[in-house]
Amino acid sequence: MSATTLPKPPAPAHQPARGATPTVRRSTPLRRRRSIAAWGFAAPFVLLFLVFTAWPVISSLLMSVTDIKSRDLRDPFNVNFVGIDNFSAVLADPLFWQAARNTGYFVVVGVPLVMFVSLMIAIALNTGITRLAGFFRVGYFMPVVTSIVAVAVVWRFLLKDDNGVINVVLGWFGVDGPNWLGDPRWSMPAMIMMAVWRSMGTLIVIFLAGLQGVPASLHEAAALDGANAMQRLRLITVPIMRPTLLFGAVLTGIGYLQLFEEPLVMTNGGGPLNSTLSVSLYIYRQFGFGNYGIASAMSYLLFLAIVLLTLLQFRLLSERDPRPRRAARKASPAAGPTAAPEGGIR
Amino acid sequence: MRRNLRVGVAALAATTTLFTMTACGRSDAPAAEDTSAAPVAEGKATGTITVWAMGTEGEKLGDFAKAFTEANPDATVEVTAIPWDAAHDKIATAIAADQTPDVSMVGTTWMGEFASTGALDPTPDPILADSFFPGAWGTTVVNDVAYAVPWYVETRVLYTNTAAAEKAGVSPSPATWDDLKASTAAMQAAGAKYGITLQAGQQGAWQTLMPFVWQAGGEILSADGKLTLDTPEFVDALTYYQSFFTAAVAPMDVPVGTLESSLIAGEFGSMVSGPWHIGILEEQGYKDFTLSPLPKGEKLASFIGGSNLAVFKNAENRDGAWKFIEWLSQPDTQAAWYEATSDLPSVPAAWETGTLASDPQLKIFGTQLETAVAPPSIPNWEQIATVIDTELEKVTRSGLDPQEAATSIQQQAEAIGTGL
Repeated sequence: MSATTLPKPPAPAHQPARGATPTVRRSTPLRRRRSIAAWGFAAPFVLLFLVFTAWPVISSLLMSVTDIKSRDLRDPFNVNFVGIDNFSAVLADPLFWQAARNTGYFVVVGVPLVMFVSLMIAIALNTGITRLAGFFRVGYFMPVVTSIVAVAVVWRFLLKDDNGVINVVLGWFGVDGPNWLGDPRWSMPAMIMMAVWRSMGTLIVIFLAGLQGVPASLHEAAALDGANAMQRLRLITVPIMRPTLLFGAVLTGIGYLQLFEEPLVMTNGGGPLNSTLSVSLYIYRQFGFGNYGIASAMSYLLFLAIVLLTLLQFRLLSERDPRPRRAARKASPAAGPTAAPEGGIR
Repeated sequence: MRRNLRVGVAALAATTTLFTMTACGRSDAPAAEDTSAAPVAEGKATGTITVWAMGTEGEKLGDFAKAFTEANPDATVEVTAIPWDAAHDKIATAIAADQTPDVSMVGTTWMGEFASTGALDPTPDPILADSFFPGAWGTTVVNDVAYAVPWYVETRVLYTNTAAAEKAGVSPSPATWDDLKASTAAMQAAGAKYGITLQAGQQGAWQTLMPFVWQAGGEILSADGKLTLDTPEFVDALTYYQSFFTAAVAPMDVPVGTLESSLIAGEFGSMVSGPWHIGILEEQGYKDFTLSPLPKGEKLASFIGGSNLAVFKNAENRDGAWKFIEWLSQPDTQAAWYEATSDLPSVPAAWETGTLASDPQLKIFGTQLETAVAPPSIPNWEQIATVIDTELEKVTRSGLDPQEAATSIQQQAEAIGTGL
């Protein structure tokens, strides 16, 4: 991404506006008038941004370093500054760590799984299934637009212990299905299953769009050279789709780290034995208890985790040329999505 | 780019300064607020009285209040219905923004939290504590001051499938802990899948556990206001509760929506629930159940819940508000309110007339209310209750030793503190 912004035009001599010295800038009345007008036009947005976006963020940051609780509602400034006490209290809370572990489990298993499943379905829809493609596209997107509350009722019935559909089907194959939502070992897999089902619609749509950018000619050429379907997927489709995959991974990663609705509606807010308690849910609980300081501190820790995960994904998935191309890169300044496939298939 | 950053930093610095200038920390002593209630003016109520109420009460109170405005022609009552889900936050926001109504319905477990913000008006004189069920009055008292009036109550009793009990040859109304143990086991032996359902854990399980603790003679707070959640009585109750699960007389999970049908079909011999289940069961055409007060341990006890009516300190029409509440807690009004909504009256005198006195099932609730106990109104109660829910689940589900569980509950609860 950053590659595109790199080739900045050299200092534009013919553009005094941008690079000119401050003295020139200040002394031009026209300029000042213009900039006032510009701020005037921008004011509605700036004001909305400051009031509804910046202020909540700043105030929650301030809350996280004070001992504010619900009893301070009437007098929010009557609180003590406690520094990082809230953060150290959160980090010493075993339940927070359990929530963090649960969320980590959900993300580490869920994100790759949903990416893989969605990519496979997108490829199937793109190549294999042509007759009813529209029907399937709508079908896979349905869960995304359906209300979680309605979905939860259905899934609770599907996941029932003795006569739930999933366990009945498992029974046909001689598998004695677990008590999904009642067993602490299986509750998180059940959450992951449901989350994958719920979020793959969006990813399929994104991946389908990405697949349009894979030129058929490359596939044909590779097929002529004797590459089988698996090799073409690995060496052509995936490298070209890398920016799309990155986008999908970042989007799902952020969404999955904020796991909240599924345990809230499916397991009565984190049960059994807190095995599906997520960080977001724990934050919500703390806000409910009126511990605004602690809850804000947790929110910032979650925010930090999201930033770290996103950075990690950028490192792992963003444009990275294979070693053999190092030399070639210097020769051709062209960087961007189109550069990868050439390197991919050599 | 850099300029934006500078502006951002400046804005942050400005707000921080503003914040630190105005925030000089908590005042040392929690402001010795005046907790003595001012008297309410004599005579009829006047002016507009704004009331917030939740759920069915919110829908029905507007019409019901017409009787009050007829008697007080100069007064009008404006009722705003609020959904239960949003109610807690709406009241909290109203307190923060100083936009409170005159009167609001307040859930009994929120009393500690809202009273400690100092936004509630202490209950004035003409309203007397001893005209209410003691358990219900207890929910209004925070730090020895009453901040509200109990409006309606609910309590938990034992529902037994009469046929299942007859089949097993046991009484459907077990009187003691031993009786309950024996009769539920007998019903299971006679073909019921489970003898009783008790909530194994998760949100709200403490409401089913605490009656047993109170029956065993335990308390949540000692007389001097210390948490006592690891007493031998508490452990006894946990042990007794656990025994239903270790013997598999009670199920670990009751899938959503199957509780009623299982009781009706005789798959569950009995359950512990509140008055709302009479209506639910009768709606499904089932009448063959027996209600009985919860069994006796060391003493009789149950859980009492419901809602209170509170007046805010900044009420524009404080006198009118208290007069309206006083009217709502008259025995006659309470009985009429029961006819309108099926909400059980918080005033024992209202139970002496009409349906409430004649209906044998309702009488059980009336009897149970006399010994029903409420958790103390401390700001941090909900948080402590979650700890109990979690540890209770470990006791029922993974066989954690009751003594260890009680110790852990006490430890965590002490770390949380009462919040007073």
